[in-house]
Amino acid sequence: MTDAVEPTGFLYPFIEADERDAGALVSDLVASARAKVGDSAALRTSTLARCAGQVEAAASAMAERFGRGGRLFAFGNGGSATDAQGTAELFRLPPTGRPLPALSLVEDQAVLTALSNDVGFDLVFSRQLIAHVRADDIAVGFSTSGDSPNMLHAFEEAARRGLLTIGLCGYEGSGMAVSDAVQHCLVVRSESVHRIQETQDALMFTLWEAVQRHLTEMTEMTEMTAARPA
Amino acid sequence: MTVVEDARQADGARAAAESAAESAGAAAEDLAAAALSLARRFAAGATMWCVAPRWPSHARHVAVEFVHPVIVGKRALPAVFVDAATAASTVRELARPGDVLLAVSTADDPAVADLLARADAWGVTSVWLGAGRREAAAAPAPRADHVVWLEVDDAAVAARTGDLVMLYHLLWELTHVVFEHPGLLVDDAPAGSDCADDICITCSDEGRVAEVRALLHEGRVEVVAGGRAEQVDGRLVGDLRPGDLVLVHAGVAVTTLSGSDD
Repeated sequence: MTDAVEPTGFLYPFIEADERDAGALVSDLVASARAKVGDSAALRTSTLARCAGQVEAAASAMAERFGRGGRLFAFGNGGSATDAQGTAELFRLPPTGRPLPALSLVEDQAVLTALSNDVGFDLVFSRQLIAHVRADDIAVGFSTSGDSPNMLHAFEEAARRGLLTIGLCGYEGSGMAVSDAVQHCLVVRSESVHRIQETQDALMFTLWEAVQRHLTEMTEMTEMTAARPA
Repeated sequence: MTVVEDARQADGARAAAESAAESAGAAAEDLAAAALSLARRFAAGATMWCVAPRWPSHARHVAVEFVHPVIVGKRALPAVFVDAATAASTVRELARPGDVLLAVSTADDPAVADLLARADAWGVTSVWLGAGRREAAAAPAPRADHVVWLEVDDAAVAARTGDLVMLYHLLWELTHVVFEHPGLLVDDAPAGSDCADDICITCSDEGRVAEVRALLHEGRVEVVAGGRAEQVDGRLVGDLRPGDLVLVHAGVAVTTLSGSDD
């Protein structure tokens, strides 16, 4: 066999197969992690600054809906489904402030599989909205692409039923960003799904903080009006 | 609400992002070590069991991240969301030695402390991701094979502003970088391995953590240690129940570590 003596390792894609010292790799991993932490923080800071006005407007509208008994319904796919679940947890079980009625449409396996099986995955959120919502309610949808058909269907259904609609997505020009059915669309400008999701969490937290602040102000206003002598 | 509180709250997410970025940078070395270990465990056939009692959405997010990668072409890896209410029984029955238990929590989460305490008995590698002040942990502080921590004032804020998500996004990203180095995917002794680091635990004075499975006759007890079942003498400690954690040395349960819990 001549193969054994010919240096053919360079022909193989995995020349690293002979690599045994993890030290260099670990150094690279540490540097990569630090760089990505920096990217994430920078994207969050710039996005929060750019979207501050939009967040304020959305929060004011949400507080007004909560004030008259509205409820929040959150939805999304995959990692964004967990953001929807986290949003419902944040509003319903807040670290501080007042608990607010919020439900995610991603947690009931029976409903999700029934709808997917019988009417199709594209309608998995819109059909739940048809069942649950009243005109005072709020729809919040997370998507990194902004183009998922089930998200667009859900927003159209929500808008038709008079809901306040709030979308968080990753790309300008995506279906959600250009849809008339999404009244407040917060767009994160990044090519990385991970960095988009991290920033969407920060946006949602800021939105939640602002809703709490508006509700406190509304309560104080009501108290002042009630206390004023006739 | 005072003006000061109001201003603090309005800047909460931004300030939190800055302080967490600093803390996450400090955790980079722990992340790298955890990713190397995780890739090696996956390469050896491990499943990762994910639990987050206070934030179930985070446990679900970690699991879907690994099972269905956002980057096309990256391999799907077995990760499973575990409901906190039945976590101990789920991992106990389903995990195989060499698997990974990943917990996401604050330092003072008793359910996570209990699960981490059982990891060695089950023979699984433990990875603990968390946020908040580590000193909030009840004594003795829970230990894990890998701890990746965001040392921040308010864990509830870090959990919702993208910081905690970033931690496991990075863990996923780094794990897949390790997969590009197949030569480095070997030589990781699984947790609970008796002869790691050239020290035979049985021959030393060290005890091994074991979980009681069944009480047999004449004081014999069936336990699991390092993911393997064995029989030991339980008469020295007495009054044991299935689920109890004990320290085993040379075929004898020498002390009880905690009560059964599920």
